[in-house]
Amino acid sequence: MNPLIVIGPVVLLLLVLGFVTYAIYFERKIIGWMQSRVGPNQVGPFGLLQTVADVMKLWMKEDIIPQKADKFLFQLAPIVAFVPSFVVLAVIPFTDQIKFADLGVGLLYYLAVSSITILGMLIGGWSSNNKYSLLGGIRSTAQMISYEVPLILSVVGVILSTQTLNLTEIVNAQKNVWFIFPQFLGFIVFLIASLAELNRTPFDLPEAESEIVAGYHVEYTGFRFAFFMLTEYVYVFAMASLTTILFLGGWHAPFGLTFIPPIIWFLLKFSLIVFFLFWLRATFPRLRADQLMPFAWKVLVPLAIANVFLSVILKELPIIQAYY
Amino acid sequence: MTAEFIAFFILSIFAIGGAVFMINLTKVMHMALSLAFTFLSIAGIYFLLDAEFLSVVQILIYTGAVTVLMIFGIMLTKHREESRESKRPLHELFALLMVVLLFGIIILTIYQVPIDTETNSQLKEKHVAKLGEMIFTDYVIPFELTSVLLLVALIGAILLAKREEKEE
Repeated sequence: MNPLIVIGPVVLLLLVLGFVTYAIYFERKIIGWMQSRVGPNQVGPFGLLQTVADVMKLWMKEDIIPQKADKFLFQLAPIVAFVPSFVVLAVIPFTDQIKFADLGVGLLYYLAVSSITILGMLIGGWSSNNKYSLLGGIRSTAQMISYEVPLILSVVGVILSTQTLNLTEIVNAQKNVWFIFPQFLGFIVFLIASLAELNRTPFDLPEAESEIVAGYHVEYTGFRFAFFMLTEYVYVFAMASLTTILFLGGWHAPFGLTFIPPIIWFLLKFSLIVFFLFWLRATFPRLRADQLMPFAWKVLVPLAIANVFLSVILKELPIIQAYY
Repeated sequence: MTAEFIAFFILSIFAIGGAVFMINLTKVMHMALSLAFTFLSIAGIYFLLDAEFLSVVQILIYTGAVTVLMIFGIMLTKHREESRESKRPLHELFALLMVVLLFGIIILTIYQVPIDTETNSQLKEKHVAKLGEMIFTDYVIPFELTSVLLLVALIGAILLAKREEKEE
């Protein structure tokens, strides 16, 4: 057996953990700068060890399980939430060479497996035996299920023009034109829906720390709480990768700048998406709960369906069809 | 013993175990979750059989949507936490008979269907595209009928919800 099969995922896990550590650091720094603050600068040089210190703090905290909680499910929930977030990374092709599983249905696999995380949140909210966490669980589940529909519909345009669900082939189809141009409407819907799936501003109602009693994880402390947070940031990693692959041409270089290696191009586009998420968090207000659901069902879903129709029609037009 | 056999063995135990737990557990929530576990294991078995698309759809629809829907139902309605022992032995006997009958029919059908391994290996490549082609050419009428059935169910659900609203 190829030793890479065993070592690869371990290396990826460490890389992802490193990414999460420094993504949190940069998020706090960038938001700090945007709000005319300094951001973390005390722990280590330039505050680089701030997140490490935070994780250590969570690690050393007392592990509390509420007396009336459903003990087994309470302990199970963070695992059910976290595992899918890492499992989806299996199908992400980072470059032509660096990829793990080359599934024929890679795109659907990502969308399907990521929906298991919702189950983890729901279990966490229910097993805490606390009405606030139950409400938080129901609310975040409702949000994530509603936004999953436009998320899946928005990529149909891409699937229609590539005629495949394989992520590597989707990237190869973008050698000349990235899908962000012909599929602009699909890209916008995908971006908004993915923000909601990631529970990020302006859709961070599940954990609106400043105005309500957190969300499904109210009762969680220490490392279990850290696992829920880790899940979210691993999904940031996964979703930024997926956006890069679907709409930004993956590892392909723009303007024929092929002397820069493909992995660097991937990382550049990936970082751009991640930065965009932080930027939004610093500048956008939160959506109201009563605007959340109508926005998904009355705006995004019709737009996504319109995008499917538009793609089909443009695919049949003489000159434009080269791009679809 | 190949790796495939071991994986099949583990997945089958998971699937059956989940189903047994589903029957034996007393809390509705636990039942729903063990059912989700069974769904997930079955998706794994589909995957072993090279039915990638079916497996992924199984996760998307059953593990993701149906389970969450059931748990939502449990959370939002008032229900007795513990299920009670049934006090109608005749009823149970009848149920057992029916289940055995259903099992017999399914096993009989499975053994009567000839399994063509040659076309199976051909189907591995591009099977999603082939599946789509088949559905929209040869099986378009059953497909449309199913979609109409789903639509009817949807409208029925809306109608039921509306009626409750009026009574209040």
